[in-house]
Amino acid sequence: MDMDLLLVDDEEGIRTVLSLSLADAGYRVHTARTGEEALAVFDRVRPSLVLTDIKMPGMDGIELLERLKHRDPDVEVIMITGHGDIDLAIQSIQHEAADFVTKPINDAILGIALKRARERLDMRRRLRQYTTNLEQLVAEKTRELVRAERLAAAGQAAAGMAHAIKNIAGGLEGCIFLLEQGLRQDRRNYLEQGWEMLKSNVEKIKDLSLALLDYSRPEELRPRLVDPAGPLEEVAALMRPRAAELGVDFHLEKAPDLPQALLDPEAMHRCLLNLVVNALDACAEDQERRASCRVELRVEPESGGGVRYVVRDTGPGMDTQAMDMLFTLFFSTKGGAGTGLGLASSRKIVEQHGGALDVESAPGQGTAFFVRLPAPGVRAAGDKGKNPTI
Amino acid sequence: MQKTVLVVDDEMHLRIFIGAVFETAGFKPVLARDGEDGLNKARAQKPDLVSLDLMMPGEGGIRMFRELKADPKLKDVPVMIVSAVGGPTFEHALETLRAATGGPLPGPGAYVEKPPKPEALLAAAARLLDNG
Repeated sequence: MDMDLLLVDDEEGIRTVLSLSLADAGYRVHTARTGEEALAVFDRVRPSLVLTDIKMPGMDGIELLERLKHRDPDVEVIMITGHGDIDLAIQSIQHEAADFVTKPINDAILGIALKRARERLDMRRRLRQYTTNLEQLVAEKTRELVRAERLAAAGQAAAGMAHAIKNIAGGLEGCIFLLEQGLRQDRRNYLEQGWEMLKSNVEKIKDLSLALLDYSRPEELRPRLVDPAGPLEEVAALMRPRAAELGVDFHLEKAPDLPQALLDPEAMHRCLLNLVVNALDACAEDQERRASCRVELRVEPESGGGVRYVVRDTGPGMDTQAMDMLFTLFFSTKGGAGTGLGLASSRKIVEQHGGALDVESAPGQGTAFFVRLPAPGVRAAGDKGKNPTI
Repeated sequence: MQKTVLVVDDEMHLRIFIGAVFETAGFKPVLARDGEDGLNKARAQKPDLVSLDLMMPGEGGIRMFRELKADPKLKDVPVMIVSAVGGPTFEHALETLRAATGGPLPGPGAYVEKPPKPEALLAAAARLLDNG
């Protein structure tokens, strides 16, 4: 069996007799005469089993029990009591003794007490093993899942990109056809059309690569306290000519009493520009009602000291299916004209600011995007702490 | 006699390209930029063949397909679907439409995946017109 057992008794006779029978039962027996000596032996040997008398001069059995349990909560301690020590026996059980045996000691009864203590030790050991294994298993499976999810996301992104490239390649094949036929049949209109189509496809490749770069750039934000109206005013100035060209009603509204906001103005500029370009594209889509379309930009204070940007259009709006896909890489409602990267990168910028990007839309009702930024030094609700606080 | 093909696609470059493919093969192309425009031109010109995109703003290509098939004068004009929407997805949409309207609705004569290759467009056209 090869198990260490510490026997503590101040009576030499008992130590001798019990040592013999315990050694015979297969234990490696260590003895101590007092509680203090017992602790010293325990620290050296670290036995799993301790058999101790309750009544001893100096440190008694109960105190020894407490100190042993403090050193190792798993140690099994069996108390030896005299007749009439039933109160002490109960007290020891309350202090988590494994069992007690009464003097004079019956070998069979001691044998049963020791066997039960061993079983408990064994059970605890196995339980701990299972738990550790289970934890390892969970950790391993979690790692596998995370890996699989990353692969799936990368696969989805790659598939989306392949689709975008395939469309552009298809467009270029169309150009080749037109240019070839134009040269062969000497038809100027084919040459002109092929040439226009070539330019538009080159533009698409440029947009795609720029948007990809924009999205994958590990952005280092340089936030500072600024007037939050600044980036929106710049974007409005930039896009006003395009709105006029489309005949779209274009408005910028700046609420009074705007607090300063902690943000990276260049990053916010890019984020808002995506939203405003989308709003104008949505209006442009409906050629008949384009003239009655309206794009509204607002910046206003939020409760709690934060700031909210609103970009609203009265374009055709989106159904729930499109809304679900909205932030998916390479998904675009603009057909071949969109890269499907703009909104994803806008959201990334907002989240890096500890904020949230929300959308409201319904078919025929137009679309509104809301950029909510927390007050300086406050983390927004729902921010899971994955981004640095700014 | 020169056959007329109605090319319906919201993307201008693709419309011009598909039109040119048919023109160089001896067809007379008529271009339309959405389903409504397409239906008007189909009724006015009664083409021999329709090349139809599915995903278009406004009513979309499925609506136009259904109206063509419901029009006694146009229901026998062969239609080829030219779309990035997969064939099975379109079949599913047709099933749904059949269930919703309760009426019979034939499938398209041909299906060409976007971006279309000139040979694929012309092969589909030849097959559809032979059958007609």
